Amino acid sequence: MKRRAFLGYAVAGTAASLLPLATADAAIQQGGQRYLRPPGAPKEDEFLDHCIRCGLCGQACPNRAIKFFGMENGTASLDTPYITPREQACILCMKCGDVCPTGAIPKIPRTAEDVMAKVDMGQARVDETLCLSYQGKTCGVCYRACPLQDIALRVGMLEQPHVSEACVGCGLCERSCIQIPQAIRIIPHHS
Amino acid sequence: MSSPDSKPFFLWRHLNKLRWLSLSIVFLMLILIPFLHLYQTYIAAHAYDLLYPSEKVIYDSMETLTAPFISDPENDLDLLKGTTWSGRLFGLDLSDPLALAGQIAASGKLLWPFVLTALIPIGLTLLLGRFFCGWICPASFLYELNTTLGAWLRNIGLHTGQRRMSRKFKYLVLFVGLLLSPLLGSVAVAAIYPPAIVGREIYYAIALGGFGVGAVFFAATLLFDLLVARRGFCRYLCPGGALYSLLGKFRLLRIQRVVEDCNDCAKCNAVCEFGLDPLRDGFGMECNNCTACIAVCPTDALVFKVTPKDQPDRGPGHLGRQYRRAHNENAEDEHEP
Ligand code: SF4
Ligand code: SF4
Ligand code: SF4
Ligand code: SF4
Ligand code: SF4
Repeated sequence: MKRRAFLGYAVAGTAASLLPLATADAAIQQGGQRYLRPPGAPKEDEFLDHCIRCGLCGQACPNRAIKFFGMENGTASLDTPYITPREQACILCMKCGDVCPTGAIPKIPRTAEDVMAKVDMGQARVDETLCLSYQGKTCGVCYRACPLQDIALRVGMLEQPHVSEACVGCGLCERSCIQIPQAIRIIPHHS
Repeated sequence: MSSPDSKPFFLWRHLNKLRWLSLSIVFLMLILIPFLHLYQTYIAAHAYDLLYPSEKVIYDSMETLTAPFISDPENDLDLLKGTTWSGRLFGLDLSDPLALAGQIAASGKLLWPFVLTALIPIGLTLLLGRFFCGWICPASFLYELNTTLGAWLRNIGLHTGQRRMSRKFKYLVLFVGLLLSPLLGSVAVAAIYPPAIVGREIYYAIALGGFGVGAVFFAATLLFDLLVARRGFCRYLCPGGALYSLLGKFRLLRIQRVVEDCNDCAKCNAVCEFGLDPLRDGFGMECNNCTACIAVCPTDALVFKVTPKDQPDRGPGHLGRQYRRAHNENAEDEHEP
């Protein structure tokens, strides 16, 4: 009798304590910091219910681009991998997908066609008020960093960068931009 | 001490040492693998001269360690990755059955390549029961050391927790954890499962510059074990332990008591980390075949048997006082008329 009552309390207690967590989650995910998921990851919901938080992708990344969330992005994101391109961007080696046991990061062959067809971490956007090339000081560093040069990122007059739809969001341009704060940023595609 | 002749296989009592070796190796691997990862990233960066002195130490030592076995560390070392939660052991992908259960609960989908990685652990658990807990679990390694610490604290007169609770709690934790996964849209059990946490946190600490949230949770479980219930998390709360106990209910390899050789000393019950009752044949689904009880039994009355079910309680050991007294009384009864 007593134990049964206690079990009841335990269940109710767990549920009650998790409710605020879930709502806090929703709140955080609306604002939140700007981050990328590793290349090829599906939209956020699907990624979160596929990923088992094993850390293998981080251990495979030769560029140490992958970091792991604590509580700052909500409980659902705890221990999931993410990339902050300004700190360390993805070199599109596709090793993370190769080790991911669940397919939360799918296996993608390391060819330009496959990468362009299947990777969509986000898309670069140039802030013309910050970009040196748009201020008349020929720069073009981001263009030289882009692995999809002339496909994803072209330069026009005075090395002014222009991003195209083919951009996969690897973040190497943002990482390399010599302006502070960076004049080119990746707008993440999470859904 | 009794003489070693007429005993079962004499090496059985040394299995517990082998088990400690196994636990230690797993734990050391979890420390080594992040360092190997760092080594790989240094190679990938092609900038040995730019490394800090401490990073050079990592580079050099890992190079020395692996050079005899591999030719291309940048790729060859990809065959050794991960943790006990999910990992790649010399090219073989293995995952914890709880990771699979949690992932299925969260997404409602069977991802076949992932399912395959859990088959070997599931098969072994069906045969050997909760052996992961005793032989592999990196959290178990720390929890058993924690138990030893508790014994020392008691020796100097401090109180440690010796509370007993319902073992059924952990099934509730497993159930609630799996039930919450689809609601939260994430693999919830990953956050409260000690071996997953330990593997992950060691990696965070070595390769990512510091412990994460899980370390706090794990420290809390250590305190719980010390202050509330000896080995309490594994006995009463661990969702993984619950899953393996269920899978291992009809395990084939079991430790059983030979009642004829037992002298009722109860050393087995005292040493059992899982609070079981080998003294009265109370092994059940939660025995993890750790062999600690075999190692302490002075008369070698605990042996391995291949059987899908425990024998029923066979009463007092025949070498014990209780049995002998009853037996002698019976003998006297028979003589009286
Ligand atoms: S593709 Fe390579 S560089 Fe990019 S996140 Fe994955 S492992 Fe790191
Ligand atoms: S390897 Fe896959 S399952 Fe593991 S943490 Fe990375 S994304 Fe998640
Ligand atoms: S434009 Fe930037 S984000 Fe897009 S592919 Fe090129 S480097 Fe990567
Ligand atoms: S690197 Fe930065 S400043 Fe230079 S062209 Fe690119 S966005 Fe502009
Ligand atoms: S009964 Fe023996 S083998 Fe089973 S868990 Fe207890 S000490 Fe280990």
